[in-house]
Amino acid sequence: MENNDLKLKLKNQIIEYLNLIDVEVDDLKDDAPLFGPDGDLGLDSIDSVELLVLLEREYKLKITDPKEGRKILEDINSMVSYIEDNVVSD
Amino acid sequence: MFIKKMYCISPQNTYNNEIFEEGTEIHTESQFWAKEPRYKSMVPLNLLRRMSKSVRMGVGTAMPLINEFDDIEGVIIGSANGSIKKSISFLNQIVEYNEGTLTPTDFVQSTSNSIAGTLALMGKITGYNNTHVNNGIAFESALLDALLLFDEGQVKRLIIGGVEEISQANYNIDVLRGMFKKETVSSDNLLSSGTEGTVSGEGAAMFVVDACKSNDSIAEIVDVDQICFPDKNEIVDKIRSFLDRNNLVPDDIDALFLGYNGDARTDFYYDYIQKQIFQQQSVFVYKNLVADFYTVSSFAVWLAANLFSGKSLPEETMIKKSGKKINKILIYNHYEGTQHGFILMSAP
Repeated sequence: MENNDLKLKLKNQIIEYLNLIDVEVDDLKDDAPLFGPDGDLGLDSIDSVELLVLLEREYKLKITDPKEGRKILEDINSMVSYIEDNVVSD
Repeated sequence: MFIKKMYCISPQNTYNNEIFEEGTEIHTESQFWAKEPRYKSMVPLNLLRRMSKSVRMGVGTAMPLINEFDDIEGVIIGSANGSIKKSISFLNQIVEYNEGTLTPTDFVQSTSNSIAGTLALMGKITGYNNTHVNNGIAFESALLDALLLFDEGQVKRLIIGGVEEISQANYNIDVLRGMFKKETVSSDNLLSSGTEGTVSGEGAAMFVVDACKSNDSIAEIVDVDQICFPDKNEIVDKIRSFLDRNNLVPDDIDALFLGYNGDARTDFYYDYIQKQIFQQQSVFVYKNLVADFYTVSSFAVWLAANLFSGKSLPEETMIKKSGKKINKILIYNHYEGTQHGFILMSAP
């Protein structure tokens, strides 16, 4: 899958999993922090667990190390990179 | 206990009382869905996006009251199914993902007491918090809980309510067991349909209630009672004893609010009590407006309280009119002919 296609797919999945109200795919910037005061979405710790569940269910990627998870969930780019690096193609 | 203020979300336009000005809306669907207000102005988006429909409706009806009255000491909710859609979603996930990692939101929202819990958190009401889930008398049990608390002098002001949401999974099961009509029936023909089953509805009604009467009390909830699996004569006996313990006889009741739901198998209870002991009273109905659900009697209380406050109820609610001024109301509602609840209300 092309990088842009994966980004689009992932953004749609994030909106669905987190039930983001009034948020469109275009509102999710690739390099904007997903969490913390600088993030536009105001996500919190429950959302981080939802995103880990998303990665596990949709991409068969299980993250058990919280430190690793923090880096992976930094922004859309970091999530896409992690998926590209770790998903084994069929 | 005395109702001070209330809000209601239902399949009618009840949230801002438009129903009393604009009249009722006819429903022709097999489920009467609640008409929800815009929540964004009252609930932060980050909370709203995680809420189940029942929590949303509970918060939507309760938060304006909690914001207006800062001395509410407890929350008591009746909700048989609570956030049933989230519960089913959570259970399905357990199966689908083989008891693997599950999403926290569905779990958090999957319990019946998530409504009362959310209200406690949002309204910072750290006192008594309870949810009653016993099906068709869940709201009556919440009322009893409140009456007992007031009787013991533990609190002076509470928020109480009944909330129910339609879940497609539960609806499908209930259809299979014959609870709902096989044919489509318009809401204006529901009570005269003459066929088996009823129609599924949902909604929320919340009330701020005080132990003592005040100048702006709307109505008094005098007493509540319930009985399960009675025959029709036991219902009559129960009503007589219920009234008797409040020093009343049937003729003291000015109006009945009866839970006719168009089910040809079980509406006879309402006919029977009128024939036996209530021949002179005005009779109001309400399930032709909002259909049937476990805590629908909370809607009946909301409707009766509006009558006491001087509003003219929609003409579809009155099926029999007597000349008596309405000071005392008996709400009688049963669920599938098994659980029967009685709520005695009075003008304040």
